[in-house]
This record gives sequence, structure tokens and C-alpha cells, in this order.
Amino acid sequence: MAELQKDPITRSDFLGFGVMGAIVGAILTIPPAAFVLSPVIKTDLLGESDVGSGWVEVASVSEVSAEEPSHFKVEFPLEQVYGERAIQKKYPGSQKSDMKYKLDNAIWLSWKAPIKQQGRQGSTGDIVGKPERPAFLDQKSEGFTESERKEIMSRLNVLSNSCAHLGCPVRWFPHEQLFLCPCHGGMYDINGGWVGGPPPRGMYRYTEAEVRENGKLYVRHKYDIEPGLDKQQPYVV
Amino acid sequence: MIGRIKTQTVEASQFLVDWMEHRTGIVTMLEHFLYEPVPKRGAWLYTLGSAVLFTITLQFLTGILLLFYYAPTTDDAWNSVEYIMTDAYFGQLIRGIHYWSANFLMAFIGLHMGQVFFSGGYKSPRELNWIVGVILLLLVVGLSFTGYLLRWDQDGFWASVVGMKIGSYSPFVGGYVIHFLLGGDVVGPATLSRFFAIHVWLLPAMIAPLIGAHLFLLRRHGVFGSEFEYTDRIAKLHERQRLEEYARYEADEDEGEPYVGRRDRADREGYERDGE
Ligand code: HEM
Ligand code: FES
Repeated sequence: MAELQKDPITRSDFLGFGVMGAIVGAILTIPPAAFVLSPVIKTDLLGESDVGSGWVEVASVSEVSAEEPSHFKVEFPLEQVYGERAIQKKYPGSQKSDMKYKLDNAIWLSWKAPIKQQGRQGSTGDIVGKPERPAFLDQKSEGFTESERKEIMSRLNVLSNSCAHLGCPVRWFPHEQLFLCPCHGGMYDINGGWVGGPPPRGMYRYTEAEVRENGKLYVRHKYDIEPGLDKQQPYVV
Repeated sequence: MIGRIKTQTVEASQFLVDWMEHRTGIVTMLEHFLYEPVPKRGAWLYTLGSAVLFTITLQFLTGILLLFYYAPTTDDAWNSVEYIMTDAYFGQLIRGIHYWSANFLMAFIGLHMGQVFFSGGYKSPRELNWIVGVILLLLVVGLSFTGYLLRWDQDGFWASVVGMKIGSYSPFVGGYVIHFLLGGDVVGPATLSRFFAIHVWLLPAMIAPLIGAHLFLLRRHGVFGSEFEYTDRIAKLHERQRLEEYARYEADEDEGEPYVGRRDRADREGYERDGE
């Protein structure tokens, strides 16, 4: 038998080593661990987000094509390392780069196409008709009444371009009349519903979107992630 | 004249070698490290481990060179790689080696593991070396994963997003995993900084000592199936057969200790278990 220690260790020695070891160990490990894990602590334990929670302008809803989805770039304010709000406040003039302070996302907007026959996730997609654009949009592009705004929101699909499989950017293919994902061949219809490929669900929708008097759509960085799944998956990054 | 210079040079260098050997023991050490008997059969397969070592060394060397120009920020990363590719002398070569050697490294590791697996080289007393090898494999996979994002182009970016989201599906810890890798809850400057830190400092610093341990254990037990081992095993086999023969004739005779010619006790114990 190999022996590491020749002298027998006494009970008080053992306790001393144990207590001292615990204290020294904590001093040595906690700061670096917390340092490296601070994003995990902030997002998972404190529920903070790096993305600003304010409303961001997308586009004028009259710009959304009647037949096909249209895409728009949105820029959410972002706070991460050298883009933290405290730093931005402290040195307003030092904003050398746009990229540091913005999270660029793409949004697909389309008019809902009525579902003629409900499909089933994993086997077939929905059979859909033609997209239905509110007729009053031909007359005006701003100054909507309360009821018109309601109608717009009930007819509009506000979709994230982040594939519901593993997050690649999906794109509309007019020839196929589908959203296709470049990574593993995920397919979605014009409403963002699942049609084929590995994604376990349809495209993510923005849950907080509104049209204002000026005819423009505004969104916040919130998606329709199934509530039961929130601690696990999926994450829209 | 020439002859004299020659003998003098030989003497001088012999003196230097002896001098170093006395003070550091380096010559014996080098001998020990460099000369290792391997079986004649399948000798080429034993070079796969060296191929892995060679490509990893290339990764370290070219990686350090890339750091002279690479700038790990979201604004500059892509540009600095572009600079390496277009303006820096031999930039394409250095980056190309880092890229291709990373790919070949994975292939070599796979083949090396296959060789060890199919020859049974992971068996006692070499189990720990297999375990160290598996840890090394995981670290190299981590390096390949984190390196790809550093280019900050569409390819590397989306591949990393996919990889991180795969991590987010791991049971129970998925959220922590992806937020750890992202450095927040979305891809941003923090993500690139972490991947850079992990790729360039954390994983290489972990890999280096483990490579040392892998080689140390290799030298301690020798390559599996080395000449001596075969001789030993065959001798042991004959010995056992002989004893069995005796036992058959003289039923009540004690079994006796079989001959074991191993280098150390750990080996011998491993072998006795093997033989059962
Ligand atoms: C087993 C070891 C390693 C592997 C498998 C590995 C793998 C990779 C890969 C796949 C890339 C992306 C290359 C590309 O697509 O252009 C990369 C990039 C990079 N690696 Fe490594 N690497 C290793 C070690 C290192 C080390 C030790 C350093 C520095 C100390 C380093 C520094 C870099 C840098 C600065 C880049 C960015 C430049 C570029 O993208 O070409 N690597 N690495
Ligand atoms: S990420 Fe879209 S199919 Fe996999």
C-alpha cells in the first residue's frame, strides 16, 4: 500500500485542516468563479437581460407586401461588457462603433393567410390560403383608428428570423412559397407555421408588438417561448 | 590537420554533453523519452499519436503567431482576419496551417483512438491513459468549437449559434450552459471575448499539462504490445501452460507463483488480473 502521510493525523489537526482548508478554498475559488459566471448569475438567477426592454421601431405596416413576407432590420439597445449602460452614460462621446451597442435582429412581417386545413407538427404543415391584407391600407398608411390598429395586429404575423431549431437565420423563398433555413433544412409557411425539417415548432413570434398612430410597428424583445420550457429551452439568441 | 579538428570537436562536444548530463541528467532523460521499443507489426500505426502531438504543436505555434494580428472585438475581429489573409506576409499560410491542422488533428485523434481501441491498448495498467486521452479529446473539441467563432464571419458565427443552442438543450443545466457561453442572454461582444479567452488561454493551459501526463504515462508503461511485453506475455503463457500440465499430472500439488517479468508491481498486479 502506498502511503502519503507517515505521521498519524490527530482529530484536532484534522478539524483545523478542514476549517482552514474550507476558508482558504472559498477565498481562492469564489471570486474567480463568480467573476467568470457573472452572466449566468445575472441572467439565470437575477433574471436580467442584456437587451434593453424599450420599444423599438420596425417599419410602417403599409410597407408589408400584400403577397409575401417582408423583412426589416431592428436594432435593440444592447448592454454587454464595453456597451454597458453605465459606460455609455459616462463616456457618451466615445461611441466609436454601432455594433457594440446594438443587437441586430431581422423581423419577418407577413399578413396572415387563413388556415384551410390544420396540419400536425411532425407530420404535415397547414394548408393555407392567400394572405389577407387589410383593405384600408390601400387608402392610408398612418393615422389609423383604434379598431383599424386592432385589425392590423390581428392580421399581422410578427416573426423572428431565428429558426426554431437551432437559431440560424431563415429566409423567404418566393419560388417555394416557404421560409427555408440554411442550416438543416427547416421549412415554415407564410404564417411561420412548421412545414418540414427538424424544428420542433413554428417560428418564434414577437409577443409584444403594436402599431401606433404614425402607422409604424413597434416591438419589444420578447418571444412566444412555451412557458413550461423557459428554464430549459429554447433560447432566442 | 582535419583529423585533429575532428577529434577536438568530438571531444569538445562530448565534454559539453557530459557537463550537461552531470548537472541535469538531461541526456538520460532524452534517451528515455526518445527511444521506445515498438513491435514490428503495425509499427506505422504507432505514429498516429505522434501525428496528433505534431498537429497540436502546430496549433500552438500558428495560434500564437495569429495573435500578433488578431483583434478579439466584434468591431475588429473580422477585419483583423482579413488583414492576416491579405496584407500580412505569409498570413494565408499561417492561418491556413492553423485551420487545416485543426481539421487533421481531429482526424488523427479519431484514428489514434481507433488504434488504441482495436489493439486493446487501453487495458490494465493503461486505463488512466485512456481517460486522460478522452479528456484531451474533449478539450480539443472545445478548442475547435471556440476557435470557429473567432473568425466572426457568417460561417463561424452561425455554426457557433447552432452549437450553443445544442448546448442549451442539455438536461437541467441547458440555460446555464448557454448563458455561460454567451456571456449574457444574446450574442454580443461578451460572447466573442469569452470564446477568445477560452480558446487562447483556458483550454491551451489545460491541454498542455494533460499532454505531459499522457506522455508520462505512456513512457511509464511503454507502448502497448512492445517487444518486451510480448516476450513477457508469451513467457507467462508458457509458464501457465506448463503449470497446468503439471497440475493435471499431480493433482494435489500447489500451484506456485507463475513467473512474472514485469517492470513494476502495478504492472504485475494488472497482469495477474488479466490472466484470470
Ligand atoms: C488543439 C488546439 C487548437 C485547435 C483545434 C484550434 C482550432 C481553431 C480553429 C478551428 C479556428 C478557426 C480557424 C479558421 O476557421 O480560420 C481557430 C482560430 C484561431 N485560433 Fe486556434 N486552435 C487551437 C489552438 C490555438 C492556440 C494554442 C492559440 C493561441 C495561443 C490559438 C489561437 C487562435 C486564433 C487567434 C484564432 C483566430 C484567427 C483565425 O480565425 O484564423 N489557437 N483555432
Ligand atoms: S437551425 Fe434551422 S433547421 Fe436547424
